[in-house]
Amino acid sequence: MGQEKTSLEIIAPTVEEAVSRGLSEIGLEREGVEVEVLDSGSRGLFGLGSRQARVRLTFSLEGGARKPTASVIEEIVETIPESTEPLTEEDVNTLQVTREVVAGLLEKMHIFAKVETRFIDPLDERDERVVLVDIQGNDLSILIGKRNEVLNALQYITSLILGKELGHWVPLLIDVQGYRLRRERQLRQIARRMAEQAIHTGRRQTLEPMPASERRIIHLELRDHPRVSTESVGEEPNRKVTIILKK
Amino acid sequence: MKELIEFIACSLVDDPSKVQVKPERETGGSVHLELRVAKDDMGRVIGKSGRVANAMRVLLRVAAAREGKQATLDVIEPR
Repeated sequence: MGQEKTSLEIIAPTVEEAVSRGLSEIGLEREGVEVEVLDSGSRGLFGLGSRQARVRLTFSLEGGARKPTASVIEEIVETIPESTEPLTEEDVNTLQVTREVVAGLLEKMHIFAKVETRFIDPLDERDERVVLVDIQGNDLSILIGKRNEVLNALQYITSLILGKELGHWVPLLIDVQGYRLRRERQLRQIARRMAEQAIHTGRRQTLEPMPASERRIIHLELRDHPRVSTESVGEEPNRKVTIILKK
Repeated sequence: MKELIEFIACSLVDDPSKVQVKPERETGGSVHLELRVAKDDMGRVIGKSGRVANAMRVLLRVAAAREGKQATLDVIEPR
């Protein structure tokens, strides 16, 4: 023994992601480090109350590890990558008009934020690229609202204005501080956990009420599940996904 | 708040010159807005089962909250 040990703390959305982020930082395999979970994080059924996971990796620098660049690494908010398809003149115009419309709406709502637009690859089988509107700034939780209400209203109004202004429908996704991606990941986790619970208890599991876009993520996540199926019940805005054991 | 509703309404209708937004009354921290548009444009600002009007109300609520106020919105049928 007597080896000098170093430790690195990582903050990320889940424990697994924090560990793998840490391992890639120091260039070691899982076996070469000691993992301590400082906080397993909490999802809270609504995204806003959630806590990130925190782990500490302890390892010896002699085992070929790279020295970490910092003692604490906070995983940066992931963003959806830009589509690699080249932009036409019309595309450039679409991006600019979209940015102006959203910036105009925000300004009149007295919200000060940076607005960027880019094309991203289709979110699913739909073949059209989507315009992603990325809103960045401080203290923007007011823009998400209860059950994404504000974000969805902003997206709906923006897409109507764009349809009118550009003369054609523009597939649009408005995101605030990477919220959509984080929320999607969280919903997939909830879906898997509730499916396990349905199998474990043998009883139908009912999720919180969610907007259609979020229910869709749950349905898709469990679409190919061998033992459960999903179904939405109730009336908007209280429509909920239920998870049922397959007979 | 008025500017927000005007901006949205003018961007959605065929005849922006007929768009009118009036703060009907303001009691304490509560503002009531009335939106008027040309008859043929009513559908554009109300939407199927009021979806457009409701989305405007959600955004209006945020704008009002930023001023420490509350706001309501009605779309008024032209005579």
